[in-house]
Amino acid sequence: MLTLTGVTAGYGAGGDVLRGVDLRCEPGTITCVVGPNGAGKSTVLRVVSGLLPTRAGTVLLAGAPIGSLRPEQVLRRGVTQVPQTQALFPQLSVRENVLMGGYLIRRDKALLRRRVAAVQELVPLVAERAGTPAGNLSGGQRRMVEIARCLMLEPRVLMLDEPSLGLDPRSLAAVAALIDRLHRNGTTVLLVEQNVRLGLGLATHGVVMEGGVVRLHGPAAEVAGDPEIANLYLGGATVGGSPVAAAADGTAVRGATVREGG
Amino acid sequence: MIEFVQAVLLGLLIGGVYALMSSGLTLIFGVLGIVNVAQGAFLVLAAMLTWWLWHSTGIDPLLAALLLTPVMFGFGWLLYRTAIVRVRGMPASMSVLLTFGLALTIEGILNVTAGNRFRSATPSYFDESFRVGALNLPKPQVFGFLAATAVLAALYLILTRTWTGRAIRACAQNPSGAALVGVAATGTAALAFALGTATTGVGGSIMSVLYPFFPASHYDWISRLLGIIVLGGMGSMPGALVGSLVLGLAETLTATYGSLQWSTLVFYAVIVVVLLVRPQGLFGARLREDALP
Amino acid sequence: MTDPTPPAPAGRPALAPRWVPGRLRGPVGNRHALAGVVFVALALFPAIRPHDTYRQTVLLLAFLLAIEASSWNIISGYAGYISLGHGAFLGLGAYTAGIVATRLDVHPLLIAPLGGVVAVVAAVLLGLVVLRSRGHAFVIITIALLFATQVLVVNLRSLTGGSDGITLPLPSWPAEFQNIPFYYLFLGLLGLTVLLSGWIRRTRFGTGLLAIRDDEGKAAAIGVHTTRYKVLAYACSAFFIGVAGSVYAYFLTFLNPLGAFSILTSVTIVLAVLVGGRGSLYGPVLGAFVVQIGSEQATVYGGSSQSRVLIFGIALVAVVLFLPAGAVPTAAAWWHRRHPATVEYIDQAGALARGQLARPDRTTPTGTDPAVDPAVDPAVDPEAAPARAAGQPRLVVRDRAPQAEPQRRALLEISGLTKAFGGLVAVDGADLTVRRGTVTGLIGPNGSGKTTLFNLVGGALRADAGEIRFDGRRIDRLRPWQRGHLGIGRTFQLTRLFKSMTVLENVVAPLPDARWRALLSGAVSGPEAARARDLLDFVGLGRFAGQPAGSLSYGQQKLVELAQALMLDPRLVLLDEPAGGVNPSLVARLVEIVRDLNAQGVTFLVVEHNIPMVLELCDPVVVFARGRVIAEGRPELIRRDPAVLDAYLGEDWRPPAEPADPEPAEPKGVR
Repeated sequence: MLTLTGVTAGYGAGGDVLRGVDLRCEPGTITCVVGPNGAGKSTVLRVVSGLLPTRAGTVLLAGAPIGSLRPEQVLRRGVTQVPQTQALFPQLSVRENVLMGGYLIRRDKALLRRRVAAVQELVPLVAERAGTPAGNLSGGQRRMVEIARCLMLEPRVLMLDEPSLGLDPRSLAAVAALIDRLHRNGTTVLLVEQNVRLGLGLATHGVVMEGGVVRLHGPAAEVAGDPEIANLYLGGATVGGSPVAAAADGTAVRGATVREGG
Repeated sequence: MIEFVQAVLLGLLIGGVYALMSSGLTLIFGVLGIVNVAQGAFLVLAAMLTWWLWHSTGIDPLLAALLLTPVMFGFGWLLYRTAIVRVRGMPASMSVLLTFGLALTIEGILNVTAGNRFRSATPSYFDESFRVGALNLPKPQVFGFLAATAVLAALYLILTRTWTGRAIRACAQNPSGAALVGVAATGTAALAFALGTATTGVGGSIMSVLYPFFPASHYDWISRLLGIIVLGGMGSMPGALVGSLVLGLAETLTATYGSLQWSTLVFYAVIVVVLLVRPQGLFGARLREDALP
Repeated sequence: MTDPTPPAPAGRPALAPRWVPGRLRGPVGNRHALAGVVFVALALFPAIRPHDTYRQTVLLLAFLLAIEASSWNIISGYAGYISLGHGAFLGLGAYTAGIVATRLDVHPLLIAPLGGVVAVVAAVLLGLVVLRSRGHAFVIITIALLFATQVLVVNLRSLTGGSDGITLPLPSWPAEFQNIPFYYLFLGLLGLTVLLSGWIRRTRFGTGLLAIRDDEGKAAAIGVHTTRYKVLAYACSAFFIGVAGSVYAYFLTFLNPLGAFSILTSVTIVLAVLVGGRGSLYGPVLGAFVVQIGSEQATVYGGSSQSRVLIFGIALVAVVLFLPAGAVPTAAAWWHRRHPATVEYIDQAGALARGQLARPDRTTPTGTDPAVDPAVDPAVDPEAAPARAAGQPRLVVRDRAPQAEPQRRALLEISGLTKAFGGLVAVDGADLTVRRGTVTGLIGPNGSGKTTLFNLVGGALRADAGEIRFDGRRIDRLRPWQRGHLGIGRTFQLTRLFKSMTVLENVVAPLPDARWRALLSGAVSGPEAARARDLLDFVGLGRFAGQPAGSLSYGQQKLVELAQALMLDPRLVLLDEPAGGVNPSLVARLVEIVRDLNAQGVTFLVVEHNIPMVLELCDPVVVFARGRVIAEGRPELIRRDPAVLDAYLGEDWRPPAEPADPEPAEPKGVR
C-alpha cells in the first residue's frame, strides 16, 4: 500500500535526517516504527503527509507516486495523520472538530452525514461529548477525537505519531482497541512509537529505525524478539559499553554514524 | 437621574457601534496575528463612499451599506493577496508598518480626490429622535445600533455555522491542525482579512451619519479601536465587545457630566489603569514570556 | 520531541535575511571615518556659504529628522518595539520651551535640557505602564500618547494657550546670522545623539536590547530585566528629541497643538529609519537625509502638502514590501557577498583537535591568582583551591558544596507542582528534590512533562499549584530574570541563541545580577567580556568568538548556550536535552564539561533521552512519567527497575552486556 524507497530528507538548510529509508506497508497491516530519539521516525510521517519535501527517493501510495504532492493532495488520496502535537481546535466543540475532518468532502452533504455516523459508531465518544469544547477534554479523550477526525475521510492509510504520548493506561487501552478495530476494518495503519512494547505488541509488522535509516524490519513478533533492538534503542550503535566512553577513547565504534552535529 | 439613564443608554448604543467597528480588527488579529492599523482608514474610506452614494443618488446611508459590504470584502481580499501576505513571515512590526503605510495611502488618495473637508451624511432622520417616556433616543444612533447588532449577529452566524467560518476559526486556533485537515492556509487567511474588512462597510456607513469625518479622521478612529482591543484583550471578541461598551459609556458620561473634549482622554486613562493592573487586558490571555508549550 | 529539527547550517552562514535589521559588520574603521568626514564637511558648510539660507534650513531640518530617527532607532531598531507616536516627544520639548519661555521669561535655549527631561519623564511613565508585558500594546499606546497629548494641550488653555498656540520671542542674535546658530545647534545635537546610540550599541545594555528583539523570552531567562531595559531604551530614545524640540520651538517661533503633535512627524521618522536601515548606527541618519531632502524636492516640484501624506504612505508601503531591511544593511549584505569575511565554517574535527578542555592538572596561560579573584575562597573548599592555583580558566562559582557528604542539602525542592493546559495535565503534583553538588538526571518517556517542569522551574510558565524552593527560598512567583540572578541557569532543547549577534556577544549578554553598573559595561571589551572569552575557551569555542551565532553547527551552538548559562554564575544548571541531535564526540566534550563544573560545586539537573549518557553521568536518576516522579535512585538500580522499564523502555528490553544479575534490586523511589 505504502512504499518508501531510498528516501532522503531534512529540515531547512540542515543535514539529512532521513538517509535513505526503505519502508513497506502492506495493505491492511499495522506497521509500527520504533527507534530512539532522533532516529527520524516522525520525519518519515511528515514526508509521507507532504509536509516535508524529499531530497531523494520515492514515496508510492498503491503504486502511485505522492512524494511531490502538497499536503491537501495527499489528504485527498486517503492518507491522514494524527500528529504528536496538539492537533485539535480547542475552542471548537468535539462535533465541530470531527466535522472539520471532513473539510475536503464538505460539499457532499450526504456523504458527510454517512461519514459522521460511521465515525460515531467507531468512536462513541464523539456522540457522547459532542458539545464539549475540545480544549476541556483529557489527553486520552483528545487522542480519540483526533483519530475520529482523521477517519472522516475514510482513509486508506492512517498514520499516528506516538499515539501513546501522555496517556494513562486506560486511555492507552482504549486507543489500542480502536486501532485494532480499524485494522480489522481493513485500514492500513502506520504508527510511530517510542514505547516499544506497546507499539510492537499492537502491530503486525515492526520497523526499527536509528540514525535516519531502517535497521531492522519484519513481522512484529520477530522484531520484538531481536536482541539488537536493545543496543539500537538505548542510544547509538555500539558494540557494548557506552558510545560516550568509546568516543572519548578514540576507538572505532561499530556502525556509528558520525553526524555533522545536526 | 433621567439624564444619567439617558447617558447610559446612549453610551450603550454607541458602544454597540464601536463593537461592530472593532470586531473586524479583532477578527484579523485573532486569525492572522496582525494589528491592522489601516482599519480606521477602511472605515473612513467606506464612509466616504457611502457619503458619495448618498450625495449622488439619495440612497439612505445605512442601506448603502448593503452595497458597500461586498465592495469592501473584495477590497480586503485583494489587499491581502497583493500586499499583506508578503509580510506574514516577518516580525510583527513589519505588518504594523505596512498597514500604517496603507492607512496613509488611503488617506492621501482621499485627500487628493475628495479634498480635506468635513463631510457628513444627513438623511431625513438625521436630527430626529425616538421618544420613549422621558427619554430621548436619537434616531441615527438607534438605527446605527440596530445595524451594528444585525451585522455582528451575521458575523457570528458566519463564523459558527458556515464551513468558511469554521475554517477561519480553526486556522486561528491551531494553524498546523488546520493544515492537517486540508484547510488551505493562505486562502483562509485572505478570507478572514476580507471578512474583517467587510465589517467596515457597514461601520463606515454608520459613521457617515453619526460622525462628521474627513480623510485624516482615521487616526481618531484607529486610536479608539486599538484602545478598545487593548482594553478588552487582543484577539478576544468578548473583550472587544466589553471594551466597546466601556468606551461608549466613558465617552457619553464624560460628555454629559464633564466636557466633550475630555471624553477621549478619560478613555485612555481607563486603559492605563486597566493595563497597570492587568497588562494583558480584561479578557486577554496572559502572554507567556517563553513560547514553549 | 522525537526528531531533531535544528537549523544546523552546514555551510555558508545565512547572512542577514532581507527583513532582519542586520548589524553592519563591514569595514568598521572606514564607516566611522567616513561619518567623521561628513560631519566636518557639514560643520564647515555655513562658513563656506554663509548666505545660502535656503540650503542651511533644509539641512538643519534634516539634522532634526536625523536626531529623531537615531533616537527612535534605540527603542524600535535595537529593541524592536515600534513606537508610532514618537513625534510626541518633539512636541513635549517644544511646548516645554514655549511655556517656560513665555511665562518665566527664560531664554528658550536654556530650557532645552528641561525639554529633554520632560520627554524622558513622559517616556518612563508610559513605559512603566505598558512595557511590563510583551506584544502589541506598546505600539498602540504610543499612538494614543500622541493623540492624548494633543488633546491635553488643546484643553489646558490656561497653560498652553490651547488652539491659539504660543508665540515665542524672536531669536536673540543679530539678524545677519539668520539660521546659522540653529544649524550648529541641531548639528551638535545630532552628533551627541549618534554618539549616544553608538555607545549604547557597544555596551551590554545594547546587546541586551538586541537580545530582547531577537528572543525576549530567552533574554529574560538569561537574567535580562526586560522591563527595565525596555523602559530605559524608551527613555533614551526620548531625551534628545525633547531637547531638540525646545530648540525647534525657538526656531519656529510659533507653536500650535496641531502642528506640534502632528502624526506626520512620527510618520517621517519611521520612514527615515526604514529607508536607512533599522538597527544600524548610521542608517537612520542617512535615511533622514534622504527623506527630508526628498520631501523638500517633492514640495518644490510636486504637489501641495496634501499629497505629502499620499507620497509618504506609498513610500512606506514600498519600503516595507521591497526594501524591508533598509538601505544600509542591504548595502552591507551586498558588500559582504562580494567580499566574504573570514568566517570559519563548521569543522568538527578541527574544532575538537585544537580547543582542548582545560583540566585541573594542566597549566594554561589563563590562570587565575586566587588572591586577586575575590570569589575564590580556599578556606571554604580546600579541594577547589589547588585546582584554581593550577591555572584553570577563571570560573567563578558561588557555591562550592563540601564533598563526601552522605546526605547533601537540597538545592531545589519541588513539591506538589501542577500545571495543566486546558484539560491536559502536563505536570501532576510532582515532587522532586535536587541535592546540592549532584548531577541529577531526569528521564522519562516523551510527553511525561519534563520540559514543562523545566519551564516551571525557569519561570517561563507559572504553576497552577505547588511550590518551588531554591536554597530554601520560594521562587515560584519570581520572574525569569530574578531566578537567573539567584543562580538558576538553563539551556534549551532547541538552542535559542540571538542570531543577530556574534558568539561573544551572545555569551556576554547574560546579567548575573540586577546592578545598573552591569548595563554599562562593554559588550566586547572590559572584565565581563574577558570572562565571556574565558567561558568560551572553557567550552572549547574560543576561536569562534567573533562569528555570527547562526553560523555554528548545532552542537557548537549548544555549547555556546551552556557558556551563556555559566555567565550567570549559576548554582544550578538545568540542561534540557544537551545531547539531542549532537555528534557523539561533542557529547563526550559535554560530559567532560559537566563533570568539571560539578567538581567545582555546580549542581546539574539534566533531562536527556540518551540513556547511556545519563546512566554514566548522572547520580541520582529520577524517572518522570505522566507528570510525576515514579522512581528515583542510583543509575544501576533505575535501569533495572521494572516500573521504569515498564514506563519507558518496554519490559522485555534489558540493557546489553550487563554483569549477571537477574534480580532487580530494590529501587528506592516514589511510586
